[in-house]
Amino acid sequence: MANPAHTPARAPTVDLDAADEEAQAAARRKRTGFLPIQTNWFDRLFISIYIAVALELFWMRFLEPNGIPLWICHIVVIALGVIIVRRG
Amino acid sequence: MRSNKVGWWLLAPTLAILGIFGILPFIYVLYLAFHQWNPFGANPEQVFNGANNFRRLVFDKEFLLAIWVTLKFGVFAVASEIVIGYFLAQLFMREFPGKGFFRTIHTLPLIVAPIVVGSIWRLMTTPSVGIIPFYANELFGIDINIGRDAGTAFLFTVIMDIWHWTPLVTLTLLAALLSLPKDPFEQAQIDGASRSQIFWHITLPMIRPAILATVFIRLMDALRTVDEVWMLTGGGPGAATRYLGLHIWKVVFPKTDYGYGAAISVIVLYLTLVMCWMLYVGLVAPRNKGN
Repeated sequence: MANPAHTPARAPTVDLDAADEEAQAAARRKRTGFLPIQTNWFDRLFISIYIAVALELFWMRFLEPNGIPLWICHIVVIALGVIIVRRG
Repeated sequence: MRSNKVGWWLLAPTLAILGIFGILPFIYVLYLAFHQWNPFGANPEQVFNGANNFRRLVFDKEFLLAIWVTLKFGVFAVASEIVIGYFLAQLFMREFPGKGFFRTIHTLPLIVAPIVVGSIWRLMTTPSVGIIPFYANELFGIDINIGRDAGTAFLFTVIMDIWHWTPLVTLTLLAALLSLPKDPFEQAQIDGASRSQIFWHITLPMIRPAILATVFIRLMDALRTVDEVWMLTGGGPGAATRYLGLHIWKVVFPKTDYGYGAAISVIVLYLTLVMCWMLYVGLVAPRNKGN
């Protein structure tokens, strides 16, 4: 059996527990909401922007010519964005 | 707690280059998309006009047609490249005489510049000069004229793209196939699985990330293709092959309508991101277990 007194100086090691905790925290940040996929807050913001752009273009093409102003669409997309980011 | 300072310093040059050459131009294009700017027009100043460029493009029939033909082009070209690329990759997994030579020949189109590819296909398809119309007429009595027939012109832009970019798909899928472990395949063969069962239940799920990455790259390329198509058909006949990249070019350069061109560019970026995102969600995104 090796004598502990003669053990060579050890190189700095990676703290596996800390790394594991970090990985688990990253996994926890992905969560499940009403969207069909697991998302983090950035994914949900991204989805909100996609939907906002599509809705604004749809509004300009089909609803605005019928007299429904675009600012209503702005309010709808902001509300929808908040719901998706918080509950999605 | 680990210090991330060194990591950030090492990343700094890359982030700076990305910021200067990627993010800043994008912000500028986004800024222009909300302005009217024709530097060679009556009013060369940049004038803020809100969402008017976008309001204009949702009613622009040429733009809507360009979206439709580009999506058609992207779907046909990329789907064909993936299928042909997969079969060629499977072929390269086997041993056959002249394999090295064939692999080299097969990869050559990849290193040809797109503008040259367009020129080659233009020469091959020009009526009364090109080899393709000549033999199509001699052997099958088919009259091929890409300057007159919209369907033929579209078909040849797809074939040209397949010819040019299938080697990339083959190489990517070949790398994915070569990296697969042998055990699951041997196990499946021992259990009596058929070739189609092995393909659908083992090979395809294991190479799915590689297929997805390849589809992303090819789809993004297909949606912004300009030079090859410009050389082959010039966007014609009519607007049959005026894909989005070509349409933006025609708006920005001959008409010098930079604000409107920027708005179209932003929408093209949006469409590309949406298509890639939908593919990601459909193929690899982790699902909610409750739904």
